[in-house]
Amino acid sequence: MSLIRPFSLFKNLFKKPMTLDFPFESLPAVEGYRGRQILDLEKCTGCPVCSMVCPNLAIELVEYNGKKYPQIHLGKCCFCGLCAEYCPRDALHMTQEAMITIMDTKEAVYTPAKLSQTA
Amino acid sequence: MATNNLEESEISFITIPFGPQHPASGHFHAKVKVDGENVVDLVAYPGYLHRGFEKLMEYRTHVQNTMLSDRVCILDPFSNEMAYVNVTELAVGIEAPLRGKFIRSIMAELGRILSHVTWIGITSMALGLESGTRISWGDREKIIRIQEILTGGRIYPCYYVPGGVRRDFSQEHIDEIFKLLDYIEKAMKLYDDLVFYNTTFMTRMENVGTLTKEDAIALGATGPNLRACGVAADVRVDEPYDGYPYVNVDVVTMEKGDSYARSLCRRGEIITSISIIRQLLEKMPAGDFKVKWAMTKKVPAGEAYFCCEAARGELCFHMVSDGSDKPYRVKIRGPSFSHALAIFPFLVRGSQLADVPAIYWSLDSCPADMDR
Repeated sequence: MSLIRPFSLFKNLFKKPMTLDFPFESLPAVEGYRGRQILDLEKCTGCPVCSMVCPNLAIELVEYNGKKYPQIHLGKCCFCGLCAEYCPRDALHMTQEAMITIMDTKEAVYTPAKLSQTA
Repeated sequence: MATNNLEESEISFITIPFGPQHPASGHFHAKVKVDGENVVDLVAYPGYLHRGFEKLMEYRTHVQNTMLSDRVCILDPFSNEMAYVNVTELAVGIEAPLRGKFIRSIMAELGRILSHVTWIGITSMALGLESGTRISWGDREKIIRIQEILTGGRIYPCYYVPGGVRRDFSQEHIDEIFKLLDYIEKAMKLYDDLVFYNTTFMTRMENVGTLTKEDAIALGATGPNLRACGVAADVRVDEPYDGYPYVNVDVVTMEKGDSYARSLCRRGEIITSISIIRQLLEKMPAGDFKVKWAMTKKVPAGEAYFCCEAARGELCFHMVSDGSDKPYRVKIRGPSFSHALAIFPFLVRGSQLADVPAIYWSLDSCPADMDR
């Protein structure tokens, strides 16, 4: 390869690298990406549809402010987005938030209060 | 070959583990018995990536199972979804709309390109061509990005559902795919120089692990590994499904059957896939992309069997339903099963120890698919 075209290697000197300098720059979020869920507390009626459609049983209904709301264990969640798709009141949505780094497994449990807040 | 009087001959043999921590093995473990540099025997020990999908599927509805099925083979998720979705539709007797079928086939071919580009990277790594690894994984990222835009998932698309797909393509999406195809076509020229017609690659791959046509059929080879032996068997042509009856599929075959022929077969398949996607995008019909399918839709009692052409070979799903909304039993026949557990030990016996990674990766077996 390099014997036939000895200067083909030099082309790479002027190309941008394929990688990104990650903590300082990252790929822009894609519209429609299935990141962690966000809950609209006003729209949610506490019906059990999201907990029933979840393939990994990551959602359970808990008491919050005197009403039933979903609580999602993101450690079990596979981010398929079925809960948001099947929500009859359009209360659950997938956000573009992908960086869910935690140091303790207990932090992976998103209570209704935590679930309704944006990052 | 293993001899019968083991006590006497065992002394000169050394058993070397190949994997699961070997850089070129993936999650696959095999014990290689060597006599000096020559491999006497190889015994495969699968199971390091067993997650029990067949059992897990018995407790989930068909829509939930589709989200599970793309985890069967991580590098080729679309084919697994394709097979599961089709087997469910067959069992119920509902067909997806034509637009949904076309989108499915486009994504399956994109997944095939993704899988083969990843394979170029891993094989280059196994053979010591590090620059091939870096560049192909960089290109893989570009395909994953398109997959992310189209489906919403980077590695696990969760895109197909029984009765169609979950999202429609827009014109912008189609333009993005065309741009990606042009890019891959350009990148293939680089791979030709860097990998496929590179002296290192050719010397390591040529006349290594030669599989004859008869042995390939007897041992259950499918996909590119079978086509590299000169058998033009392809499910996309033999029993066309989804969007494939509407396009012209060039079946790439090679004659020699060695590791190099298998590699060139995969190279040819990337080019075939590009042409199939172009044909499908040009012929894409308008209309619905899915039919309504309830989460707890009951599947009539009976059996269904579906076979599709995955990147690694024939992927078959056999589903038995007892009339409830969950399958009674699902059996997955992954293509890597026979490649890694039957053909790999067969080819390795009598070869050199240094050829073991070359043969293993030329077969492109995926431990996730083999163990399920």
